[in-house]
Formats: sequence, structure tokens, C-alpha cells
Amino acid sequence: MPSDATQLGQTLSTLLTIAWLLPLAGFAIEIFGGFWGTRQSKAAAYIAVACIGTAFLCSVGALLYWGDQTDWAALQPHHGSGHGEAGQAEGDARAAAEHAAAHPSHAGEEVDVADHAQPVSGAGIPAGAWEHNLANAPEHAAPKSFSGTFYVLAGFGSLRVAIDWYIDSLTLVMFTMVTLVASLIHLFAIGYMSDELTDDHEDHQVQTAHGHLHRPGRFSRFFAFLSLFSFSMLGLVLAGNVFMVFVFWELVGVCSYFLIGFYVERKSASNAANKAFIMNRVGDFGFLIGLMILWTYFGTFQFANRVEDGVVMPGLFDMLRDGDGNMHLSDSGATVLLDDGSDAAAGIHEAPTIPYFLLVAAGLGIFAGCVGKSAQFPLQTWLPDAMEGPTPVSALVHSATMVAAGVYLTGRFYPMFTPEVLLTIAYIGCITLFLAATIAVVATDIKRVLAYSTISQLGYMMLGLGVGGWGAGLFHLITHAFFKSLMFLASGSVIYGCHHVQEMPRMGGLWRKMPITAFTMLVGVIAIAGLAIPGISIFGEKIAFSGYHSKDAIVATAMTFADLNRTHFLLFYAPLIGAGITSFYMFRLWFLTFAGKPRDQHVYDHAHESPRVMTVPLIVLSMFAAFVAVGGEEGKLFLLLTNSEPAGVANGLVASSPSNLALPSHEAVHARHALAGTFALVVAALGALVACVFYGLRLVNPAEVQRQFASLHTFLIEKWWFDELYDMMFVRPVHVVAKWCSACDKYVFDGILHGLAKGTVLVAHWDRMFDEQIVDGLVNWVGRVTYGTGSLLRLLQTGRLRQYVMFIVVGVVGIWVIVQIFAS
Amino acid sequence: MNDTALLTLIIFAPTIGALFVALCNPKADGRMRAIANAASLVSLVLSIGAWWYKFDSSVGGMQMVVNHTWIATWNVNYQLGLDGISLPLVLLTCLISYLALLASTSITKAVKGYLILFLLLETGMLGVFLALDFFLFYVFWEVMLLPMYFLIGVWGGPRREYAAIKFFLYTLVGSVLMLIALLMFYFDSGGSSFGKTFDIVALAQIGQGRDASYQFTPFVQMTAFILLFIGFAIKVPVFPFHTWLPDAHVEAPTPISMILAGVLLKMGGYGIIRIAFPICPIGAQYAAHALVVLGVVSILYGAFAAMAQTDFKRLVAYSSVSHMGYVLLGIAVWKLTEGTGETVGRDYWQMGMNGAMFQMIAHGISSPGMFFIVGVIYERVHHRDLNQFGGLMGLMPLYSGLAVGIFFAGLGLPGLCGFIGEIFTVLSTWNYNPLYAILAASGVILTAGYILWTVQRVYLGAEYKGPHAEGITPITDREFGIAAVLLALCIVLGVYPELLFSQMRASVDLLVDNLANTKGLIKAAADVTGL
Repeated sequence: MPSDATQLGQTLSTLLTIAWLLPLAGFAIEIFGGFWGTRQSKAAAYIAVACIGTAFLCSVGALLYWGDQTDWAALQPHHGSGHGEAGQAEGDARAAAEHAAAHPSHAGEEVDVADHAQPVSGAGIPAGAWEHNLANAPEHAAPKSFSGTFYVLAGFGSLRVAIDWYIDSLTLVMFTMVTLVASLIHLFAIGYMSDELTDDHEDHQVQTAHGHLHRPGRFSRFFAFLSLFSFSMLGLVLAGNVFMVFVFWELVGVCSYFLIGFYVERKSASNAANKAFIMNRVGDFGFLIGLMILWTYFGTFQFANRVEDGVVMPGLFDMLRDGDGNMHLSDSGATVLLDDGSDAAAGIHEAPTIPYFLLVAAGLGIFAGCVGKSAQFPLQTWLPDAMEGPTPVSALVHSATMVAAGVYLTGRFYPMFTPEVLLTIAYIGCITLFLAATIAVVATDIKRVLAYSTISQLGYMMLGLGVGGWGAGLFHLITHAFFKSLMFLASGSVIYGCHHVQEMPRMGGLWRKMPITAFTMLVGVIAIAGLAIPGISIFGEKIAFSGYHSKDAIVATAMTFADLNRTHFLLFYAPLIGAGITSFYMFRLWFLTFAGKPRDQHVYDHAHESPRVMTVPLIVLSMFAAFVAVGGEEGKLFLLLTNSEPAGVANGLVASSPSNLALPSHEAVHARHALAGTFALVVAALGALVACVFYGLRLVNPAEVQRQFASLHTFLIEKWWFDELYDMMFVRPVHVVAKWCSACDKYVFDGILHGLAKGTVLVAHWDRMFDEQIVDGLVNWVGRVTYGTGSLLRLLQTGRLRQYVMFIVVGVVGIWVIVQIFAS
Repeated sequence: MNDTALLTLIIFAPTIGALFVALCNPKADGRMRAIANAASLVSLVLSIGAWWYKFDSSVGGMQMVVNHTWIATWNVNYQLGLDGISLPLVLLTCLISYLALLASTSITKAVKGYLILFLLLETGMLGVFLALDFFLFYVFWEVMLLPMYFLIGVWGGPRREYAAIKFFLYTLVGSVLMLIALLMFYFDSGGSSFGKTFDIVALAQIGQGRDASYQFTPFVQMTAFILLFIGFAIKVPVFPFHTWLPDAHVEAPTPISMILAGVLLKMGGYGIIRIAFPICPIGAQYAAHALVVLGVVSILYGAFAAMAQTDFKRLVAYSSVSHMGYVLLGIAVWKLTEGTGETVGRDYWQMGMNGAMFQMIAHGISSPGMFFIVGVIYERVHHRDLNQFGGLMGLMPLYSGLAVGIFFAGLGLPGLCGFIGEIFTVLSTWNYNPLYAILAASGVILTAGYILWTVQRVYLGAEYKGPHAEGITPITDREFGIAAVLLALCIVLGVYPELLFSQMRASVDLLVDNLANTKGLIKAAADVTGL
């Protein structure tokens, strides 16, 4: 029912808005914590936890309310068999109007819901619009997405930029995941950051002229930034248009900058922060190009359709694709016809178009932003350096949420990507997952191993999305968030317990000292490795942790894709081999840290298990890491996510473009699932076994192998020389050009100016010479002559009266004579 | 209060203040400052009042028009008025002047002269933004020039004479070019229904072909546009006319730098929008491509040059060159169809124009903020060498927090004002030319580079590395207040830009409409000139 749907959308948006804005309020208070309270006060942490905790409750509430209102229709298996859709709703009047038969899965998908700032779409949505939108929808069909506007940033003629919201099941799941993980990490951080609760914090990593640096603790500031980050991240997820995504994209970037550089006194930290921000900006430059193209050709940034004055203004997705997920190309295939909502077919006016290559460029541009944010090749180098931040930051920002935002956006923006772009995404993911995994094998810093593992796993997600596994990629995003934040926190617990030792060669045997950490870490390791016990099931479920299910989904999709497009076989082998490497380096990490004999007795002796405020989040996260994906692709999480799947993906997208790529359908993937799963499991088990042989049982000495492959080892240790390469290719040239510009100003422009000035002075000088020598000379000459004459005449001026009388007489006589001469 | 009194008082309240200061005992420091502050505050309050009570944002044309005969022989009038384009700039001028005056406590040399000149400068700036008579505009333009010369030349740094002369000569060249254009318009408008006139609105009507009896020829329009553009471009400043700016900024005392960056540069942009474009649409259209190129070059060149600086103030000065490039870019993205003169993507140009106006205001807030931030630390340690700072975050946490906020506004971080102007102008550029759009967008990387590098060198790090470490004290309440007001405005405009857009939309749209409607004129000109 429309009114119910409006009501539902309204409630969801209210709940999520509260969840979104609470951390911002928290930030506004906490940032002044250092001024208002003492350095020993934990008040800021409590406020932050309360804010994010409440946000979590709101998110869960929204999810449950949505499910309840829709009778959990999303959880009815509809993709598994691939045939269950026939009975679903028919709808979407606009699509129906254009196509004789509307596609079933598109039933009433878009609902524009009200908002306070927009009276147009407010409580009283024009009835006509609703009839238009939902005319054919059966009563029980709930819309798949809700959208609305908070407020308008600016409007120019028909163009309009606003702060919108867009809620579908993906948004709800992301909100719940982000707030849950964030809450737990906030809790953990209370323990982890407790050494900041002092007026005199000693930073052992910073050497000053007077020994180690001493500074006031910055407990409040840390939580303020965490809160600001939570706000930005939630805003990114809630965003209803791609411009707003960009806004929050940059805001999470700057939060990441602050948090990486939290130890501002450390040069390495501020360098890493700068690197992160600037490399992200490189990606954002691409993002911006994508935005410009979309803006110029589509004239809107909105995802969803908008109803204004009873007229449906289509969003990006509906402009590009019809209800079946197909684009409409011109006959030549060079341009794509867009649907701007007006009835172009009736010949009222010409429909807008976009050249196909620009659509590809826009997709690549937006994806470039995702590459930067998700640390994909070739912009992957900032993430390992970002480990300079405190460990809770690494867990929250640099594994679970922000870096996954790139994957989220790729998923959200999926309908806008052409097959060429998807193939690029797949290859970028493929390269990244392999490259990062190889580096992780040799890294010895516990956090860096996890960082490379994060990059690699993000590569998996991108690969999954690129080969057509929309659900698979995002599925892995959620499961990864849990097990990777778990592992980061566990590593944080290790670091905390070992008094800030991060090098694994100095650890070993720690499971005796910190059993909870060791055990929860093991859960994470098994989850990411994708291990399972084949053949046995309890309650009809496979015995496997979350990573198994999600990675399986990706590998299966990749396999199907490679089958359909034989030339792209690498897209299957890389993730398969990657799975083995992943399993190897993760078990290596666990064995090096927790098993065997202590390698540094000093560290071992002082190590201790972390306090409960840190271990409880570990235990909770390990539960989620283990069980969140129960049921795999028939499980609740996957079904919830795929409820938001863009139209057309389920049935495979077959080349509505000049390319010859085919994307696998759900049935095809399903058919190969068992085989792919077996492959992945065997490879993962092999990896684990090798790790066990090397580091667990110590049957082979790793140092031996290292010597054997010394050059390869160096190559990996140096991270494939990317930092040096970029320094040479970009950083230094930029500085050189900068010097040129500066010098150009100094020597060319100012040179010309000074030349002009000198010229003017020279002319003035000549002018003066001319004046002094010639003009003045002339004047002086005249003066001198006059003066001389005067002097002569003075001789006549004697003052004697008789002489004057004589002059007069002589004069008169003279005049008389002259007059006489002339008169005659 | 009637409009004449209101607008006149806004302009001349500082002058009246200057008179009172002149009557004071030169040693009565406090009293003179109080008088100056009060005078400046009167202008600020009145301009806010005019905005709040009298200004109607739905009207595109001129409001509160005042027209009195001044020199009847030459048809020169005392003609003032406000619209959505000038109002934000008037408010900005009053605000920045007031804050700069508050920041003038550091000036202790010849306070009396300083305050008098400062107040005269304010009058000149306000007059420029309010004048509707070209002659009056020119007079105010010159009135502003002299005080500035002395303020830099007397109260400036070591190379003050050089900088002051450079500033003066550059600006004077601009003024002369403007004067030629002004006389051209005056004598050429004789055939119009207005007779020979200096009235900017009337001249615009003639230029846009809306006067029944007379139009400027394409030749006049193009010549005048080039003269006017160079005159205003020097002020903006646009590459390659920008080299006076770094020197003037480096030598000027902090409050004068604030005025210079916050207001004086905007007069160039304002001149282009108010005079060059409306009166010479044909010239503007022919030059549009060159203007866009100059805008893009300014953005990139300024950013590169900023990156190479080691003087803190010089760096901020070059960032101004870069940021003002967006203004020119946004104004100039006027695309026509070949042949018909029809404007292509009018909405995008409108967006560019609005974005340019927004960028002027945004830069007018963030840039004085940056100069003030530099001034605060300069007063304490008496040097500006970027490589000799560091560790200020620990020593002056509140100051550093504000500084980082304001610098991020300059960097164009979303949620702060710099972002909106930059992104809107850049978004509107693709419609004009994709290549320039991409080049302009690449500025975001460079900007991030030099600002973050600066923040790192000055605020982060373990220790302060330069001289006079003993002078580093926490910021005073007054300094905090000034920076906080600027930062707060950055946030407000960044989060809710519609606040500003709503005020200027009607006027900017009207301008864009009027110019787009000159298509017949432009087509005819194209037929004649064969260009």
C-alpha cells in the first residue's frame, strides 16, 4: 500500500538519520574534551560509545522494522533456484509503459518518499504520482528502495544538487554492520588508548633533544575523530546521490588523515597521513571526471527517481537502464539513449544521449575513486603505511569500513558500469589480490600483514563484482568487515599486551599468555582462509566460518565467468591461487605470534592478556566472524543483500554493448558452485598445511627458503618497488615543475617587469640628461646672456640726474631723427 | 532610513570615522582605535540591515537605486545600488574590514595615519561595489589605490617600498586601461536614447542590444573588453599579471594582507561580472576561450608555484592565484553553437557563474583566514620560513586546530566553503570543454599536496625548529575570536551553500539570461567580422 510504504520509508529514514547524526553530535562535544575536562577523564569515550551504540540500536531497529513491515519477503529464497521469481510482483508502470512486459523483479522498485525540507515530496505525495508508480503493483509488494531529500545545496535552472537519502536492504545491512563494528571498536579503544589518559604521555618512538617526547594525553581527541569518522562513513552509506557520496568520500578521507596522523609528533605518521590523503585525491580526481561526465550528460546525480509536481524525474539508474537492466544503444552502437522521463517515443522532444565511450569513461572515473579508497592497484601503497595510526583505527577505518567504501560504491553504482568497465574492475581486483597476497607472505610486522591481507581481500571483492557476482562481492564485504576487524583488534590486543611490539619475529608462544586473543584470532584466521570441514553438517549447515561462504561465492562466480569468456581464464586462477596464499600467510601470522617457543624472552615475560573491555569485543566479533554468513548463499545475510541487486544481474547480463562479454547468471553460478567450492577448499587447506609445516611444526626452516630466493624476497620486501617508482614518476617531477613555475615568476615575469622598470629609469635618465644638458643649457644660456646684458646696462645706471637728462635728450633726438627718416 | 542615506552612510561611515581620528591626539591610541572600530562597525551593521530588511532576493535587477546629479555637464551621477551580485561582496567587505581592524592591534607605528588610511581604503572598496555610475566607480577605484600604497609602503616589511611601487604601478596600468574603455563608452553612447552616459546599467543595455536607438559596434565591444579585462585581470590576479600579488602580500602587514586577499582581489572578479561581460557581450564571447584557458593556467600555475615556496605568506599568496582561477573559469564557460549564437547548456553556464560568485565569497573568507593564521605565528616568532616551524600542534593546540580547519577550507574539503565554489565551477566546465575541465580538476591533487605539506611542516612534528621559541604563547581571545568567526563562516557556507546562492541566484540568472539573449547580436557580429 502506498501510504504504508511512505510511512515505512519515513520511519526508516528517521531512524537512520538519528543513527547518522548522533556521532556528529558526539564529535562536537568530544573535540573540546581536552579543554573542558581533565586529561584523565574518560567522559569523551563514554559519549562516543553512547552515540555509536545508540546508532547501532537505531540501525538494527530500522532493519527489523523494515523486515517486519515487508514480512521478511527478502528472506524467501528467490535466487537459489532461479525460477522463483515468476510469481513475484509485476510492476513499475514506467517500464511497463515502455515495454510490453515488465520484468518481474523490478516490481515497484523506486519509491520517492517524503521529507520535511521538501514539501513537494512531503506528507502528501501527489496521488497521481503514486498511481503512476505503483499502478500495477499488487498490494503486498513492498518497494525495494526508498529515497528522499534532506535539503537542497543549490539549484541552477533545471539542475539541482541536494543532500539526499537512499535506503534499500544494502543500506540497512551496511548501517548495521558499520555501527556494530564501530561500537565494538570504540569499546576496545577505551582499553587500548588508556595510556593516553594522562597529563604526561611519553612517546617512545619520538626522540627529541631532551630524550623521549613528553606530551599531554589525547584520549578525547581520539574519540572525537572516531565519532567524526563514524558520522562520515554513515553519511556515505546513506547518500542518495553520487555527489553526496563524493562529499562524504572526502570526509572519511580527512578523518582517515587525522587518525593515521594521530601521533602528530611522529614524522612517519604525518608522512603516512599525507600519502593516504594525496593518493586518495588522485583517485578522487578520476571520481571528479566521472562526476563531470555524468553531470553534463545526465543532468542529475541522484540514484533514485524523484517525483516533483507529480512528474517523475528519473535518477541515474532509470535513465540508463530499463526494467530488465538493458541499455538502449543507437543503431551504430556509438551512443546510448537515455530516458529522461518524458515521453520521447511520442516525439514530443528528443531523448538525451551519451556517447558510449564517455559512459565507459564515466564508469572508469568513478571506479578510479574506488581504486583510491579501497587501495587497489595501482593506488595500493598508502594502506600499509596507514598502519601508523593506532590499531583501533586500522580495525575500523582501514579494514572494516572506509576502505570497503570503494567496494560499496562499486556495488551501489553497478547499473552505471558497462561490461568494459566491469572487466577492468575484475582485472584490477585480480591484480591487486595477487600482488598484495605475495607481499603479505614476507611482511613481519603483524599489522602490515593484516594490511596487505586487507588489500588482497578488497581485491577479491572487486573481482567478484567485476565478474558479475554483485551479491558475492558485497557478501564478502560484510563478512570481511567482521573477521578482519576481529583480527586487527586481536593484533591490537597483542601489541597492547606486548607493550607496543609489532614485529612477529620477537613474539612466539603467546597463546599461553593471552588465550582469549589467540583463540579469537584463530577464528578470524580460519574465517579468512576459508576453511571448512567437508562432508559433515550440523543442523543441515556446513561446518564453515563466514569467509568460506563469501569467498566461495566469489570463486564460483569467477569460475563461471571464465567459462563463459575463455580468454579471461586468469580471473579464475588468480583468486584460486590467492586463496592458497591467503591461507598460508594468515596461518603463518598465527603460528609466528602465538605458537612455538618465545623468541624474545623479555617481550614474552612482560606480555599479558588484555583487560575485559578489550576481550569482550573480540569475543563478540569472533561470533560474528564465525556465524554471520551461516547458510551461505541460501543464508539470511546473502538474501538480504541480494534483495537490492540491480535488475538484470540475476539472469546474467549478455552484452547489450559493443563488447562480447557475458556475465554469468545465478543459475550458471549455482551449477558450478560445488566444484569451485571444492577447488577453493583444497587450495586453502594446502596453504594452511604449508604454513603449518614451515612455522607450526618447523619441519622446514623458513630462513633457508628465504636465502634460496633472496632476490624474490627482496623484491617482495620492497613491495614490488612501487614507492620508489611513484616517487620517481610523480613526486619528484611535481616538485621540479613547481620549482620551474616559481622560477618562471621570479626570472621571467619579474625579469620582464624589472627590465621594463630599468628601461623606464634609463629613459628617465636620458630625459634628465636632455633636460640638464640641452633644455637647461639653452635656458641657462638665455639666462646668462640676459644677465650679461643686464650687467652691461648696469654701467649706464649711475644714478646721476644730469646724465639721465642727457640720455633723455639724446634719446628724444634719436627718435626724432628716426621718425623723420621713415616719415620721408 | 531612505536608500540614499543608507547606502551613503555604508560607504562613508569609515570616512567620517577617519575625520574623527584625524582630530584625535596622536598619542590617544585607544580612543582612535575605538573610533575606527566603531566606524567600521557602523558600515557592517548597516549593510547587514540593508540585506535583512530591504533586500529582496527574488528580484534580479538593481535595488535601492540612488541617483543624484553630480557633474551635470558630463552627465556624471552619484548613482548607487545593490543587487544579488554586489550585496554579498559588500557584506564581505564590511566583515573582513572589521575583522582586519580588530587584527590591527599589532600595528604600533604611527597608528593615527594607519587608521585614517585604513578607513579611507574601506570607503573606496565599498564605493566600488555600490557604484552604478562608471565614473563614480572609477573614482572609488582610484580612492582605494592610494591608501593601499601607503599602507604597504609605510607599515610593510623590509622590502615594502618595492612591493608598494609594484602594486601601485600594476594597478595603475589597469586603471588607465579602464579609463580608456570608460571614455570609449561615454563618447560612443552619444547616439543612444540615454545620450552620453556613464550609467553602467544603461551601458549594459546598449551593449546587449536592448537599446532601440543605438548599439556598440563589435569593434568597440572587443577593444573595450580587452582593455577592461586586462584592467580587471591584474586585480584578480590572472596569470600572467599576478606577480605583484606575492610581493604585496609578503610585505604588507597582516590586516592589510587580509583586506588584499579578502576584498581587493574580488574587485577584479566583480568588475568582470558587473562591467566587462554585461557591457561587451560580443567581446566576452570572442574572448571566452582565452579566459577559460587563463583560468585553468592560473589554477595549475598558482598551485605549482605555491608548492615551491618556502615563505609561508608567499605560499598563501600563490594559493590565492590558484583559487581565483576558478572564478575566471566559472565566469567564462559560455558556450555557443557555431553559426546561430545560441547558448549551449545555459544551465551549466549559470552554474559556473554562480559557482564563480560563490568562490569569490568563499575565498574572501578562507584566504583572509589563512593570512591571519600566518600573521598570528609571525607575530610570535618573527619569521615565516616554512622549514623552520614544526610542533605547533603541541605548543598552540587551539590555534593549530583553527589553522587546520581554515587551511582545509582552502584545500576544498567538502563541508567547508572552498569545496562548493571549486566543484561547481569545475562541474560546469565539462560542458564547455572536457580537456579544460580535466585540467582544472587535476588542481585538487596539487592543492591537497601543497596544503598538507604546509600543515605538516608547520603544525605537525615533535619540536619547533626555528628561532624565538620562547615567544610562542597560546593565542589570545581576540585572535581566537577573529579566526573562529572566519572558520564558522567557512563551515556554514560549506554545509548550507544555498544560504548564499539564494541571495544571488536571481541576479546571476538575470545576467546569464540577458547575455544568452544577445545571440542575434553575436551572430550578426560573427557575420560581419568573419571570425
